[in-house]
Amino acid sequence: MNFDWTPEHQAFRERLRAFLKAELPDNWESIAHHGPGSAEITAFSRQFCGRLAAAGMLFPHWPVSMGGKGLDAWYQTILAEEMWAAGEPRGAQYMNVNWIGPTLMKYGSEQQKKTLLPPIVAGNAIWCQGFSEPNSGSDLASLRTRAVLDAGEYVINGQKIWTSYAGLADNCFLLTRTSDDRKRGITILIVPMDTPGITVRQIPSIIGEGDIHEVFFDDVIVPESARFGDEGQAWEIISYSLRNERLGIPRYHLARAALDRAVALLKARGDWKGEAVKIEAAKAAALTETARNACYAIVDKRVKEQPIGPEASTARYNVVMAERAVSEFVVEYLPQALIDAEPYLKMHHQRGIVAGIASGAAEIQLNIIATEVLELPREAR
Amino acid sequence: MELALSDDQVQILDAIDTLAKPYASVPIHDISFALTSAELTRELAEGGFLDVAAMEELGPETAALVVERLARLPFAVEAAASALVRPLLDSELPRPLCLIEEGALGRAVRYLAPGATVVMVGSGGVRSFVATADHVAEAHDESIFAYPMAVLKAQPAEADLRQYNVPASEVLTQWRIGLAAEASGLMAAALAATVTYTSERKQFGLPIATFQALRHRLAEAQVVTNGAYWMTMKAAATRDSGDAALAALHAQEAARRVTYDFHQFLGAMGMTLEHPLHLWTYRLKALTSELGGRGANALAAAEAIWG
Repeated sequence: MNFDWTPEHQAFRERLRAFLKAELPDNWESIAHHGPGSAEITAFSRQFCGRLAAAGMLFPHWPVSMGGKGLDAWYQTILAEEMWAAGEPRGAQYMNVNWIGPTLMKYGSEQQKKTLLPPIVAGNAIWCQGFSEPNSGSDLASLRTRAVLDAGEYVINGQKIWTSYAGLADNCFLLTRTSDDRKRGITILIVPMDTPGITVRQIPSIIGEGDIHEVFFDDVIVPESARFGDEGQAWEIISYSLRNERLGIPRYHLARAALDRAVALLKARGDWKGEAVKIEAAKAAALTETARNACYAIVDKRVKEQPIGPEASTARYNVVMAERAVSEFVVEYLPQALIDAEPYLKMHHQRGIVAGIASGAAEIQLNIIATEVLELPREAR
Repeated sequence: MELALSDDQVQILDAIDTLAKPYASVPIHDISFALTSAELTRELAEGGFLDVAAMEELGPETAALVVERLARLPFAVEAAASALVRPLLDSELPRPLCLIEEGALGRAVRYLAPGATVVMVGSGGVRSFVATADHVAEAHDESIFAYPMAVLKAQPAEADLRQYNVPASEVLTQWRIGLAAEASGLMAAALAATVTYTSERKQFGLPIATFQALRHRLAEAQVVTNGAYWMTMKAAATRDSGDAALAALHAQEAARRVTYDFHQFLGAMGMTLEHPLHLWTYRLKALTSELGGRGANALAAAEAIWG
C-alpha cells in the first residue's frame, strides 16, 4: 500500500491552489460566507467555472470523448477537496462535474447531449435534482409526482421537497411517476425551471442559504423529448449515476480543514492548553482521518474500475461521525462570536447536521451495511 | 496512492490462514479464559511470519497485516511486538516480547514469563532484559484479560539492561501500530462471532439480528472496525508518529464502543466461557489500557499533528 500522492497528483493540487489564489477576489470570504447554494456563490460560479474550464480543470477526470483529460478519479477527489476547502466557488456546479454531465453522456438522446452539455462544459449551468417528496424521503421509490403523456406532451403534477439549488437552477433532473410499478414506474424528465406552472419556495433553514426548497408542479407541460432514457428507466439510471454521489462532497476534508482552523484560532488566543482540548481535538481528527481513509479506499476501487459496493455506506457513516465530531468540538471550545466571524467554521457549524441526512439518511446506510456487508438476515417489514 | 494488497501480501495472508486452520476454532470443551498454543506460536516463528517487517518489499505494513490476521484467532499469539518492534532492535531477541512503559513495575504485562524479553520504553530511552523467575511474580490468579499475563515485580540493575540506539519515539510509533493492528483483528473476529450468533438465535420467532435495535449497532461496529483497519494500514505505510497515535486512539475508542455491545447481543450466553467471544473482547479490554489509554494516545496525536 502507498498513501502518498504521486508527483502528478501533487502538481495538480498545487495548480488548483495557484488558480484559486489568482482567481478568488479579495472579498471572496464575504461571498463564500453565504454558502454554496446562495445567490452570491451561484452568480460567482457562472464566471469562475468558465475560467476553470478554460484552464482545463473543470472536469479533468472526464473521458477525452467528453472533452475531459481522461485522468483518474484521484483528480476528481483532489479537485473536490481543494474547491470545498476554499468555500466551493463552483457553487452547485460541482454536481454537474460529478454526475449530471457523465449521466447525460451515457443516457441522453443526441438532442439532449447537444443542448444540455455545452453549458455544463462551459461552466455555466445550474441543475437541481427533483427527487424527495413530502411523503417520499428514505423510501424514494414511493414517490408520487405524476407525469401523464398526452399527445406528445407530458403533463406534470405534484410536489418535490428539500430540493437543493432549486431557486436558481436552469434545469431540474426530475423523477416522476408514469405507472404504478414501484420502481419501474418512475421516469426521468428534464424540466427547464422557467416552465410555466413551477413554483419554488425556499424553506427557511438552519443550514445556510439556498439549500432546501419546496418545488410545486401544477399542470407543467414539457414535450415528450424532455424524457431522459425510457419510461420506467429512472431507477436504473439514478442507481448508476448516484453510486459515487454519497462521496460527492469531500466532507472529511472540510471537517479536517475546519478542525485545523479551530486549533489555529485556539492557539492564537492562548487557549490551546490543558489536556481536555487537545484530547477532544485528537478524537475529532481520528474520525476525520478514518473517514478520509474509508473514502480513499473507494476512490482507489474506482480508479481500478472495480465495482463499488456497500462499502460506500460504511465510508459515508464514517463521514457523518467525523462531521459531527468537528462541529461539536468547534461549538464546545470556541466562543460564539468567533464561530460567527469565521465563514468556514460557521458553515461547518451550520452544516454538521447535513451529512447524516442528505444523499440517504445515516440509518439507511446502516441498513445497507447490516444487510449487504454483515449479511444479517433481512429485517421483518 | 495504492490501497490494494500486493500479490505477496495476499499470499502471505493465505499462507497464515492455511497454517492456522487447526487453530481457527476453540477446542471442544475448552473453557480457558486465555487460550494459547505453543505449537501455533512455534509454527508461525518457523514460517518466518513474524519477521516480514525486515524484508524490504514487505515492511511494517505487511507485518501489521499479519498481526491483524493472527488476532482474529481464538488463540492468543504474541505477534505485534515481535513483528513490529523487534526488527527495530534486534531480530534475534528471544520471544515473546513484552513492551512496557518505564516505571510499570507492579503492573500485569501481556505474555510476561521467565525467558521473555522485556522492552522498556520511556525517557531513559529503549532498554531490554530477558526476564527470569526473579522478575516475575507468581501468577496467583488467571489473567482477567484473556491474555497470558503476569506482574513484573522487579527488573535487573541499570548496568545489566541492554541499551539501544533507537529513539523511544520510534518504538512507540511501532507499538501503537501493532496495538491498532491487533485491536482491528480482535474487533473483526468478535464482530463476526456476534453476527453469527445473532443471525441464528431466535426469539419471538425470528433471528434476533432481524431487529433494528441490534442491526444498527452491529452496523456501527462494522464502521468503526473497518476504520480501525484503514487507520492501521495508513500508519504502517507512512510510519508517521501522528498517524500511529491516531490509529491507536481510534482502535481504543472503537474497542470501547463495541465490547459491551457484543456481549449484550449474546444475552446470557455472553456471560459464559462456553462461547469464545470473551477471547477477543477481553483482549480488547486489555489493549484499551495500553500506552496510557485513549487520553494519552490522543495527547500524543495532538502533539504530533498540531504541536
